[in-house]
Amino acid sequence: MSHSKEWTPKDDEIVEEEEDEDVSRYTDQKDAILFAIHVSPSMLAEHPDEDEDARKKTSAPSSAVRTALECAYSVLQSRIISNPNDLMGIILFGTEQARFAGGSFEHIYQVMDLDVPEAGAIRELKTLLEDEAAFDELMVPCDKSQVSIPNVLFAANQIFTTRAPNFQSRKLFLITDDDDPHAKDKPLKQSAITRARDLYDLGVQIDPFFMSNPGKKGKFDTTKFYDDIIYKTADDEDDDRPLPLTGRGTTKLKEMITSIRSKATPKRAQFSTTLEIGPGLSIGVKGYILFKKQEKGRSHYIWTSGEKAQIVQGSTTMTTAGEDGEDVILGPKAQFKKAYKFGGEQIVFSDEEMKAMRDFGPPTIRIIGFKPAAAVDFTHNVKPAQFLYPDEKDYIGSTRTFTALHNKLLESNRVAQVWAITRRNSSPAVCYLYPSEEIVDPASGRQLQPPGFFMIHRPFADDIRQNPEVPPNPAPSALTDRMRAIVKQLHMPKAYVPEKYENPSLQWHYRILQAIALEDEVPDTPVDRTLPNYKAINKHAGELVLEWGDQLQASAASVTVQVLPEKPKRGTKRVKGEGDDAAAAPPPKAKKVKETAGTDVRALWEKGQLAKCTVVVLKEFLAANGLSTSGKKADLLERCEEFFETK
Amino acid sequence: MADKQATIYIVDVGKSMGQKRHFRQKTDLEYALEYVWDRITTTISNGRKTDMIGVVGLRTDASDNHLAKEEGYENISILSPIQQFLMSHVRELEESLHPSNTDEGDGIAALILAIDMIIKHCKKLKYKKNIVFVTNGTGGFDTDDIHTVIDGFKEENINLTVLGVDFDDPEYGYKEENKPAYKAENEKKLSDLVEAVDGAFGTMAQAVEEMGTPRLKTVRPVASYKGKLTLGDPTKYDSAFAIDVERYPRTMVAKPVSASRYVVTEQSTDGESAPTMTATEETPASELQAVRHARTYQIESEDVSGGKMEIEKEEMAKGYKYGRTVVPISQADEAIAVMETEPSMDIVGFIPADKYKRYYHMSTTNVIVAQKGNGMAAIALSSLIRALYELDSYALVRFVKRKNDAPVMMVLAPEIGADFECLIDVQVPFLEDVRPYRFPPLGTVKTVKGQTLDKHRNIPTDEMNKLMSDYVDSMDLSEWGKDDDDESAEYAPIDSTFSPIIHRINQVIKHRAIHPKDPLPEPYPVLTKYSHPPEDLVKKSQAHLEKLINACDVKKVEAKVKNKKRKREQPKPISVFDLEAILESTSGNKKAISLENSIPEFRQKLGSLESEAEFRDLGTQMFSHAKKLITTSLADINYGRACEIIRAVREEFLEYDFAEMYNSLLRDLKKDIVEKKLDGDRTGMWWTIRKFSLGLITKDEADGSEVTEEQAKDFLKL
Repeated sequence: MSHSKEWTPKDDEIVEEEEDEDVSRYTDQKDAILFAIHVSPSMLAEHPDEDEDARKKTSAPSSAVRTALECAYSVLQSRIISNPNDLMGIILFGTEQARFAGGSFEHIYQVMDLDVPEAGAIRELKTLLEDEAAFDELMVPCDKSQVSIPNVLFAANQIFTTRAPNFQSRKLFLITDDDDPHAKDKPLKQSAITRARDLYDLGVQIDPFFMSNPGKKGKFDTTKFYDDIIYKTADDEDDDRPLPLTGRGTTKLKEMITSIRSKATPKRAQFSTTLEIGPGLSIGVKGYILFKKQEKGRSHYIWTSGEKAQIVQGSTTMTTAGEDGEDVILGPKAQFKKAYKFGGEQIVFSDEEMKAMRDFGPPTIRIIGFKPAAAVDFTHNVKPAQFLYPDEKDYIGSTRTFTALHNKLLESNRVAQVWAITRRNSSPAVCYLYPSEEIVDPASGRQLQPPGFFMIHRPFADDIRQNPEVPPNPAPSALTDRMRAIVKQLHMPKAYVPEKYENPSLQWHYRILQAIALEDEVPDTPVDRTLPNYKAINKHAGELVLEWGDQLQASAASVTVQVLPEKPKRGTKRVKGEGDDAAAAPPPKAKKVKETAGTDVRALWEKGQLAKCTVVVLKEFLAANGLSTSGKKADLLERCEEFFETK
Repeated sequence: MADKQATIYIVDVGKSMGQKRHFRQKTDLEYALEYVWDRITTTISNGRKTDMIGVVGLRTDASDNHLAKEEGYENISILSPIQQFLMSHVRELEESLHPSNTDEGDGIAALILAIDMIIKHCKKLKYKKNIVFVTNGTGGFDTDDIHTVIDGFKEENINLTVLGVDFDDPEYGYKEENKPAYKAENEKKLSDLVEAVDGAFGTMAQAVEEMGTPRLKTVRPVASYKGKLTLGDPTKYDSAFAIDVERYPRTMVAKPVSASRYVVTEQSTDGESAPTMTATEETPASELQAVRHARTYQIESEDVSGGKMEIEKEEMAKGYKYGRTVVPISQADEAIAVMETEPSMDIVGFIPADKYKRYYHMSTTNVIVAQKGNGMAAIALSSLIRALYELDSYALVRFVKRKNDAPVMMVLAPEIGADFECLIDVQVPFLEDVRPYRFPPLGTVKTVKGQTLDKHRNIPTDEMNKLMSDYVDSMDLSEWGKDDDDESAEYAPIDSTFSPIIHRINQVIKHRAIHPKDPLPEPYPVLTKYSHPPEDLVKKSQAHLEKLINACDVKKVEAKVKNKKRKREQPKPISVFDLEAILESTSGNKKAISLENSIPEFRQKLGSLESEAEFRDLGTQMFSHAKKLITTSLADINYGRACEIIRAVREEFLEYDFAEMYNSLLRDLKKDIVEKKLDGDRTGMWWTIRKFSLGLITKDEADGSEVTEEQAKDFLKL
């Protein structure tokens, strides 16, 4: 029986090298965030969403508590994708009801325990947001005098201590509109101050989210109370964190989500090394990953025969062929060697030699000179750029020196060419340091472009592929002119903004998972913001495209087109001119390919002789029909069979 | 697939090849072989059966060839017929390549023999045919019948390369002084021949020097997409266009060859299974066996001893995790979980090139050209390429490579060359691909109170800016290189930067194959050429750099100094409120540290401690909390928390210079774990300590410690 087609999950592969991030080794590399949301009459008061587009009135009036919970829910969903192993929790304070695992804290209600989110808890949160009765039942504020900030802080302390021990990053998002909770109670205020200090000493960062409530007089005044509670982190890099946002009214959900999402992700360096500006002038820098393809979570083998579905743990045993051909398990004493296959044998190296041959010196990023920014060619790219920012820890004066270089390269529009070995034993790379100037959105205060250098990896000569052979066929200028009109018409002045494009396939995958996990109805159509706006394209450029199409017909007739000799000439486009009758129009291309490529294969299939096709033919056929061309011939054959059967 | 290839090496092994000339450490033969072995091992390393090699020895003692019956073919031997070369052939050949005891043997006859071998082997099949001839040009070259040789090369379309030891080469710039007349004559004969057959002629020095220059593999372009580039929706609107295009890779990261893992098998010493091969000590491979990986699967189960239950493959299903919840996915669900898509390349709009951020590039790049043989598609695409070029714009597209693949966003840029034009595509990030990190501004500093400073130790002075500017200007590479015509050109262009790792590994493998006992060779200079700025440029800009170094005054922080700050500043909230007074009154120094709030209390008490005994007491309290947590821990549930307590003590004692105190507390804890005093087997706790690197403080970390790196490592073992 053949198992070749059997599905194998991603985590079942043996991965040799993985790009880990450079993290403190003394702590668990996980993050925990805890929302603490103040429930009070003013936080529960509903206000219409003060959108710029107030006229539209699309959103129903919402309260600060609801907005905060919606925000938490949205952050939760995005973190399940981006930080699947990280912890999150939600507590409400100032409620009449109390619920707290492992302790008694009055007027604190734990909506979600601090943990990796789990279906039950997510469902509960969702219900709270969707079921108004449940919401109203829980959201009964206690008397203002019963709210104790020291208690809230200590509860957070206990939650972090027990649920997220030795974590690298622990953050408390405190959401409130009361700028002076203990105005009349000095001991309580002092107690809050010491409890806040406890959190600081525990390594928990408080990120407040203050709301100026329209129902209250005056702006949120942090000097009354919170300036004694909030610490700036000792971490140099963070010392310009934007001050706690003061939302106007019920802060717009989107803004809150963006802000919390960016704060929730601790800034982790991928490497920290030296930047050698010239012989004898080195400074400290840290490298960050700002762009990385977010993939779906890996699939797992699971076992469903028990009470609860369980993840199956795979473990690898190394074996070798024994004398009788049976696999023999290698014991702990087995001696291993690495070798390269060469000329029918193995060329062996010792472990030290394996290391030594890959050693090109200690890690550093060394500038070898400068070039105009235009040297960074559009085509010369192999992977996402990394980002460099100065680091004073090992070299005092790094920031000012880095800044001077940054200033110069920006001002003269130049880049530095570097030889980069970013971590011990990593292969050398040739990169450009491309200066980027800080850009801040004046409206939201959000940083749109960070100040520093992008490190753009340059391909090596080995990485450049030759062009396919195509004869040059320059378009006549009349045709180019028509196309130019189209391009101008469909101009996107804001260029590409990643924030506008969610990954539709990724989002769909998780929507389905969530629906199954929460036993919800499975949605039927994905939201896909990447699809072009066809209607607008037709409206704005339709006429121009038709003109271009006519010109194309005319040009094709008058220009001798170079083609590779043996291939038949084929029609191009499917533009239907208004007056053209079907006979005059070029044959619709797509179908033709399918049919011509399909007939032979189909004929063989009908005769039951599909196996006679060569792999090349099968692959071409599958590709032409948009099917996968991976796998062995048997796989290809099966895929073809399937195709014909379903047709 | 690459063409079949047959290459014959004619190696002159005459007696005179055994001499050392011009102060070289190597004999002429050794010198020439350096090149020949490099070529042969390069061929072996591509592992292709259809890339074959034959070797002919010239001026050999024997006359071992099939033409030897005829006159003039003496002292020529076929050392290896045309075949795929393997390591065993390398060893055999090595044995036979030594200077002979004769200088007899005709070079031209060797060429005729080689041509004959090629004709017999290749017949009329399509082969790439080469003859490489290495000699010191001191033997006989009978050119009476040279026209038949020339015809042979031409008819069979064979490439001839002649490389001579100390041959004159004006192009390379070498001329041998006091060259004997007969050698000069031989060189002339050979170079005339090469010219007549349009081959290559050169001096050995150049060949050896250029050995390190990697030969790049050419990969036949394979389309990754053949389909349409569309604007608008042709199924809904008449005003949509679709151009047939093909997409090929432009960049693709080449990977070094990978090593496999082998297990060393026990060699039986009783001689029963002694290998039959003669060169016993030269067969290291025979004792290595391939390692395979077998996967087994377990689930956690309390019913089974050890807590793990083996699971058969058939019992497993597929699933994903949603948060902590395991979500089984049935075949049917699997189908919906994949978003349905059709292969397409859909234009979303056009963006101005100057607004595009180059650092959005996420991927390798590809070229998009019109469908081959489709003239109309070609001019249609060309009009788009040219329009984009003229408007300095890019196209933004949504791309689906294959049916049901995830869509990606790509930017297409026009590229117009002399007789090639195309669009270049690259992937750009989705919202989910962006990490929302924020970095403080450079060049301004904000104080805690929100004041903006423009003078600060982190802000460069005008002088620094000026000196940096001068330095950068003096290190310009844009014209520091030389092109083929010796005109100044860009320094370190792409086509001269080779992947160091790929070619380094190839180099050492090839070297080891021929010299199994030698240490690794130094990397070829061409591989590390661009690891440092060009020396002459550095010299030129030296003065600027020195001034810059002085002005910037960068100071390296010594590792140990970093830790020492005995009298540390107390952290303060934004209000700069001093809460030491309250802390002292509320927490009360006399009180013992509580378990639930141990870490903050510990840290807060340290500031007011005076005596060593007090520190010791505090450390002991912390460790006893840790022990209590371990003792009461259900499985490993409290281990993280205990580690955090240990970490707090480690950090603080390192800072307060009580390294030994920490070390003794940790030793004590280890003892308890080893002696199972903390409620049974707690080895897991020790591994957790190890995982977080909470071992002994070494003397590299702190002066107060006597522990060496080695001892600390040992200590972490159980």
